[in-house]
Amino acid sequence: MIGIIMFFAALLMLLVGFPVAYTFGGVALIFGVFAEGPDIFAFMPFRIQSIMENVTLMAVPLFIFMGIVLQRTRLAEQLLESMGQLFGGVRGGLAISTVLVGALLAASTGVVGASVVAMGLISLPVMMKYNYDKRLACGTICASGTLGQIIPPSIILIILGDVLGIPVGDLFKAAVIPGAVLVGAYLIYILVIAWAKPEMAPTIPRDDSLNRKQFYIKAISSIVPPLALVLVVLGSIFAGIATPTESAALGGVGALVLAILYRQFSVKMVMEASVETVKVTAMVFAILLGATAFSMAFSYTGGDYIVEEVLSNLPGGATGFLILSMIAILILGFFIDFVEIAFIIVPILAPVADLLGIAPLWFAILIAMNLQTSFLTPPFGFSLFYLKGVAPREVTTMDIYKGVMPFILIQIIIVISIMVLPSWYGLV
Amino acid sequence: MFLLRLEQTIDRFSDLLGKIAAILFVLMLFNVFYDVVSRYLFNAVSIGMQEMEWHLFAAMFMLGIPFTLRAGGHVRVDVIYEGLALRKKAWIDLVCTLVFLIPFCLLVAWYGVDFARESFQLGEGSGDPGGLPYRWVIKSVIPFAMFFNFISGIGLMLRSINILAGRHQDDDYTPVQH
Amino acid sequence: PAQAAEKTYRLKLAETWPTNFGVFSHPAREMAQLAEQMSNGRLKIEIDTANKHKSAFGVFDMVRAGQYDMGHSASYYWKGKVPNTLFFTTMPFGMTATEQYGWFYFGGGMDLMQKVYEPFGLISVPGGNTGMQMGGWFRKEINSVEDLNGLKMRIPGFAGEVLAKLGASPTNIAPGELYTSLERGTIDALEWVGPSMDLRMGFHKIAPYYYTGWHEPGTELQFLINKKKFDSLPEDLQKILMTAMKVSAYNMTIESHHASAENWFNMKTEFPDVQVKNFPPEVIAALKKANDELLVEAAAADPLAKEIIDSQTGYQKLIRVWTDIGERAYLNSMAEE
Ligand code: NA
Ligand code: NA
Repeated sequence: MIGIIMFFAALLMLLVGFPVAYTFGGVALIFGVFAEGPDIFAFMPFRIQSIMENVTLMAVPLFIFMGIVLQRTRLAEQLLESMGQLFGGVRGGLAISTVLVGALLAASTGVVGASVVAMGLISLPVMMKYNYDKRLACGTICASGTLGQIIPPSIILIILGDVLGIPVGDLFKAAVIPGAVLVGAYLIYILVIAWAKPEMAPTIPRDDSLNRKQFYIKAISSIVPPLALVLVVLGSIFAGIATPTESAALGGVGALVLAILYRQFSVKMVMEASVETVKVTAMVFAILLGATAFSMAFSYTGGDYIVEEVLSNLPGGATGFLILSMIAILILGFFIDFVEIAFIIVPILAPVADLLGIAPLWFAILIAMNLQTSFLTPPFGFSLFYLKGVAPREVTTMDIYKGVMPFILIQIIIVISIMVLPSWYGLV
Repeated sequence: MFLLRLEQTIDRFSDLLGKIAAILFVLMLFNVFYDVVSRYLFNAVSIGMQEMEWHLFAAMFMLGIPFTLRAGGHVRVDVIYEGLALRKKAWIDLVCTLVFLIPFCLLVAWYGVDFARESFQLGEGSGDPGGLPYRWVIKSVIPFAMFFNFISGIGLMLRSINILAGRHQDDDYTPVQH
Repeated sequence: PAQAAEKTYRLKLAETWPTNFGVFSHPAREMAQLAEQMSNGRLKIEIDTANKHKSAFGVFDMVRAGQYDMGHSASYYWKGKVPNTLFFTTMPFGMTATEQYGWFYFGGGMDLMQKVYEPFGLISVPGGNTGMQMGGWFRKEINSVEDLNGLKMRIPGFAGEVLAKLGASPTNIAPGELYTSLERGTIDALEWVGPSMDLRMGFHKIAPYYYTGWHEPGTELQFLINKKKFDSLPEDLQKILMTAMKVSAYNMTIESHHASAENWFNMKTEFPDVQVKNFPPEVIAALKKANDELLVEAAAADPLAKEIIDSQTGYQKLIRVWTDIGERAYLNSMAEE
């Protein structure tokens, strides 16, 4: 019972507008101490230590730094502008470029905070400069920054593999087609909206002083360096030089090398970029810390048992069970973090799915897709917080909330299609 | 004017934490880079250097949190907050700092002290060959960072009080510098 | 009639393992069930996995501080805090599971273990054995000691130290990145557990060679108990708790053997290309020599460590003679099959 009240209290308190991280922490404090006494907080240092030792999360500051340096040196801007221009008459070129760069970043990290923030730094200012609709811009960034969840390597797939007992490699392979379909669906949506409402996604005017040849040379020369950087990051993983996390450091150092090549390097620039990195990273990790306090108070006051009870009593045959469990996960995703969902809920659902003869791989991909959606769902969608943390002032939380709605809808459609046509995705 | 000066002193302290964290970040970046290069090119792996990565990373974000509070970098759900007058915002910050932030930070800091002291008394180090000794150093970052967070929270409270007393015109928002 | 007023004792146990961690998850659950049934419901044990407390390697501290009353973990995880806890899990070139149980229960092992844990207000009890662990998954063959030179391998703890002495490079990789790292050759080899656990990690799909074991011949898990809490239980419940732990540990030991056999069979059928390899005798001899040197160093550094090492090596010598003319002779005699 306390767990449910806690949810609504947190929801209400978040709306007041105090920083999210401390609101989570404060609500956890009030309910945790009220129900269990202050000693429940003796668990906090252990939980913080686990976040401190989680080396996978090092990718967050490293990618943020790469994004900030690319942005300060204006290399990112030139990349996106050139890509946008190359799409020429195609409206929505910038948004399309954003999705493509997001998919590339996704293939090198599984940490959503890292790519949403990097994309927010790199492409939001550019889209704003070219008068994109704020909501479309925000939705595109949140959605493509979240692709890291489904496009391997991905943390959620690793956790699901562990919880469901499926080899990680099998899951990674199974996720490729659904991930690609999702990227395709984003692109189609952008093309359609840009065609229907041109003012939301204007084309980037070509520089008329250049002839065709000069234009292509300029475009390619601004696309190659940052793209090469992203390929270095990806390539270092594939060539066995670095782990996915370490590859982010190669990206950071690579960005500095580019800055030197383009004569933009200075100690002052590095220090400023580093301070910005700290600020954005701390924003992300403060939320993680607040969220771990929240989930601690939730589970130690018996919240995990409530969830368990509801879920283990889902009615219906295989189809009914699938639909209900997906809805349950989606709704829970509005409120709690995907790791919690994977750990608390999936172990309850998995045996039932097994009993009903639902293929584990299929079930896992459905859950992963669904959890990816949970990053985008207001009010607790982590991607939304992360983007807000780096967005310019004129972008409000409401803009972001409204902007992600169409993308959430796309996600839900894809989840349904996987549910109806698993063989099409090669999942059964 | 004392309250204004105190606020400024606390702000300077938080900014200093931000600078320290920024330096830790640069060290971490090159630490990871060095580890990759030396492993790939020279097959040389130092567990100690590998552990140093997360030590720097952890200290960086933990010390960065109080700095970010002072720099106004923590995300708010501003659906309602955005439209409020400066004084109302100040009231929200004042009350929530008192009810949420300060007790939370102090309580975690309090239990963090035991946590770090335990490690100190055991002389805890890495369990892996060539790993780093003195685990208490990184563990004591938890109580320290939480205490600094409390101090930074006092800064936010003072700012709110100073706004309510008419000594301030601005709020705490400093956008990411593009 | 006096029984009616008896109160119920509730204990909380923290596991190092995440939820559903194969055979590792069984002993604590079985123990709790047995204890409750044998005590007629007077002893209730609630289990939290690492997914709830989020601190796999904080179990020692949390049980010590009384945040949990019990733990289920492995002793060598506390090596960084209390170096002598290393010896009560398994040692390279040490005893097999059966031999080691002999040492624990009849060769003075339990007393020595208590001597190590007592100062921290803890009781440690054997918590189930994984049996022989495999030497690991390798992407390249090891034909000589030189092949170990520069070998990047994920292998933690004492065994890593032994390999490092022969020029290998023990490497830390986050568990979530192990698969990608081995697949891409960021590392050349890794050790995990054995067929009972390795199958679901899928390493057999990316590394052709599965080497037989030398470094963890019988990995014993551990029940940890807060001593103050234990002493506060009535005597019969203490006995019940101890019995439940022993039975569940025994069952896990058997189950691990079974699960490894079954998984190995499946792996071999599904992936006939996986090659099981033995390290050549030359390599084993070098590893053994490095291991012995490290033990001498450890014994010289601390008197209690010396006492434990002497007890273990002495007992191993004694019991191995019987293992040789018993099981080994029997298995050799049927080698043709
Ligand atoms: Na990914
Ligand atoms: Na959500």
